[in-house]
Amino acid sequence: MSATTKTVMPQLIRNERWGRVLAVLGSLQGYIGLVLVVLFGIISKGNVFLDQTNLTNAVGAFASRGILAVGETLVILTAGIDLSVGSMLGLASMVAAMSLVQGGIPPLLILPICMAAGAGMGLVNGIGATSLRIQSFVMTLAMLSVFRGIDRQISNNVSVGTQPVNSDGKLTKHADQFQMYGTPGHNIFGSVYYPVLAFIVVVVVFQLILSRTRFGRHIYAVGGNETAARLSGVNINRTKIAVFVLAGLLAGFAGPIDAAYSASADPLAGQSYELDAIAAAVIGGTSLAGGRGSIVGTLVGALILTLLDNVLGLNSVSDNLQLIIKGLIVVAAVVLQRPDLFSSITAWFRGITRSARSKGGT
Amino acid sequence: MTDVVLAMRGITKAFPGVRALDGVDLTVHKGEVHALLGENGAGKSTLMNILSGAFTDYGGSIEFAGGPANIHHPRDAQRLGIGMIHQELNLVPHLSIADNIFLGREPRTKRGTLDRALMHRSARELLANLGLDLSPSRPIRRCRLAEQQLIEVAKALSLDVRILVMDEPTSALADAEVARLFTIIRSLAADGVAVIYISHRLEELEQIADTVTVLRDGKQVGTQPMAQAQRAELIQLMVGRPIGEMFPRADDTADTGTPQLAVDGLNLAGDPLNGRTALHGIGLNVHKGEIVGLAGLMGAGRTEVLQSIFGVHPRHAVSGQFRIAGKRYSPTSPGHAIARGITMIAEDRKTESLVLGNTVQFNTTLSSLGRFVRWTGVSRRDERAEVRRLVTDLRIKTPSPATVVNNLSGGNQQKVVLAKCLLTQPAVLLMDEPTRGIDVGAKAEIYELMNQLAGQGVAILMVSSELPELLAMCDRIVVLCEGRVTGEFNRADATQERILEAAMARQAVLSSDGAT
Repeated sequence: MSATTKTVMPQLIRNERWGRVLAVLGSLQGYIGLVLVVLFGIISKGNVFLDQTNLTNAVGAFASRGILAVGETLVILTAGIDLSVGSMLGLASMVAAMSLVQGGIPPLLILPICMAAGAGMGLVNGIGATSLRIQSFVMTLAMLSVFRGIDRQISNNVSVGTQPVNSDGKLTKHADQFQMYGTPGHNIFGSVYYPVLAFIVVVVVFQLILSRTRFGRHIYAVGGNETAARLSGVNINRTKIAVFVLAGLLAGFAGPIDAAYSASADPLAGQSYELDAIAAAVIGGTSLAGGRGSIVGTLVGALILTLLDNVLGLNSVSDNLQLIIKGLIVVAAVVLQRPDLFSSITAWFRGITRSARSKGGT
Repeated sequence: MTDVVLAMRGITKAFPGVRALDGVDLTVHKGEVHALLGENGAGKSTLMNILSGAFTDYGGSIEFAGGPANIHHPRDAQRLGIGMIHQELNLVPHLSIADNIFLGREPRTKRGTLDRALMHRSARELLANLGLDLSPSRPIRRCRLAEQQLIEVAKALSLDVRILVMDEPTSALADAEVARLFTIIRSLAADGVAVIYISHRLEELEQIADTVTVLRDGKQVGTQPMAQAQRAELIQLMVGRPIGEMFPRADDTADTGTPQLAVDGLNLAGDPLNGRTALHGIGLNVHKGEIVGLAGLMGAGRTEVLQSIFGVHPRHAVSGQFRIAGKRYSPTSPGHAIARGITMIAEDRKTESLVLGNTVQFNTTLSSLGRFVRWTGVSRRDERAEVRRLVTDLRIKTPSPATVVNNLSGGNQQKVVLAKCLLTQPAVLLMDEPTRGIDVGAKAEIYELMNQLAGQGVAILMVSSELPELLAMCDRIVVLCEGRVTGEFNRADATQERILEAAMARQAVLSSDGAT
């Protein structure tokens, strides 16, 4: 036995080293898209693109959708999907605007209120997807409609501005404070644009939760093999409900940002944001089959989407063309992320040459 | 016997995973049953995947019926008449038996619609040949594992094959079903079909095989007529070292105080939709350091007993008294059971035990992450150290703890499952077919480990379809039939005949049913 082990081991070690190189290359595949977009930006509009204000604006505009994408990634990792994040964000931004304008609640209190509202909506999704055993696609599709309906009902289909003025024509004290949530041109701590900071903090916190906590492991286990996870002692339903609640919580967290950014809560705010969130997760390498992906990947996906928008805008590419390019990027990114991309391409080539040779032979 | 139907020469396959094939030759004659023997990871499945066209990229040449064959796609193999029954079942759960058998080559009527009548008639015939009395319209998901395996056989038979590869076809079958399968293999061979038969069960090969080829570490280490082969010699060829004793269990008497696990009057509501057998008044005890076996035919309810104890089934379906070390216990969920010191190795490691796409480390610590939680979260350093220790202790052959489990061989995957269970430090270990589809070397290691665990005072309750394994390993054997206990034997009184008799006491059970 020891003799065979000795002869086998060097080969194993060599394989392992080669495997590690391949793994590193594979993990970099996901960044190729981002690098290409950035390069394109630098080459075409170098000085404008790299300007800090431009980058801040680009990321800031996408921040609320990026935060949604983080929650979406959690749900997708458990092999579920949440189509209602856009509606939850819309309702949360309406809650924020109405708390501000009609409730006169200080902005610092508005944030937890919105988060609680979002978590509540997420809980409904989670209970539907577990206790009622409705597939998450169907449950959240239904809630997409329900939450949007509530949003429009409470606002009476009229958008609520977040910049009410006093009789002297100046913004009220609360409205002034509220602007720090992301009204363009308003920073906190002197020079930090809140939406960008919030997005980055959310990414860091949730990446740590995924990689460093028991709950994070359970998320991967539930998505990777639900039966095995259950038989290993993982509480499946609790894990699933938790990811839906977190997705809702994050949508609630993003609500004030969206309201402040557009200076009003539109009853239609956040529509189709779920598609951007899913796209960011998928471009970032999260598998819709569950069990594979990361928040860092989603950050990369979100950056690709927003910087691409920005670069195309700078080069005055038409909106219609931008949509087409955005869709194609999703396809390209997913193909690039196949771990066996390089090996399958070589195998394909070899197949072609072989069949050509055998045809020549006969 | 002299017509060579298949000659594989110098087959080489490099893998980015754990092992490769290195210059393997295989010659198969018409009407021959050719056994392929080797430990898990020796390269048997790889060789057969090349033959069936699943791997396109390999070195060496294949000759079929005297001429060169260019097999680089499953279609090529199908056209040549090479049929394969994979170790992993390839059936669509939601389609019916008939639909599965004719998948991809459904017969059509003149109008171009499916000829269901023909499909069902042929399917019924094929099933009857295999002694299966199932309706062809029953969906696969409602069939038991053993039935599914036989349906795979029926599917292969429905093709007009010249070479039939069977990869562990008996791993889920009980003895009577195996005998039926062998009759079919013999009649196929008599018709001139060459059968390549992969199995770890040496006693089966003695019954069915004409020739045997042994692989070890991707190399061919011997080919000889089965009639001349000695069992010990074959094992030595496979393992590369002599195995003195396959079943090392010593005749020691276990503790007889309070049982570690006591089950009384266990009833389980049946669920025919999911193929769940009902249980009626099961009672059994397992003491500290004792290994108790559960014997019975397919569908006797052995798996259900383990699952009920482990809390797999919904609470309302299960009733009965359970005690762990004398304390009342009511199974609510697997997580709850693990917290109470019970752990289970499930029947099917791929679908029930492992997150295949994740690493050895991830899988090993999944049940016991709490042990590694520090204030900064799960400590990956402690985790890796613990996994390294288990990898060494259980001799898991893996390049590193970060290797994806799917790239390991079956035996090593099973050891990862075992490592996961051991890490929870169980007082009661439930094992469902712990050595299914595992090579001789890994089996011996698992037996050794079970003995060690029993020696440390763990109570083990194991299910196995292999009677010699139960007879050798268990201190006591409880026999089930149709969800009832029909016999219990101490190690000294247990024989294969007595167990089988009790396992087939169906008539007795039914008549006592009639009386009540």
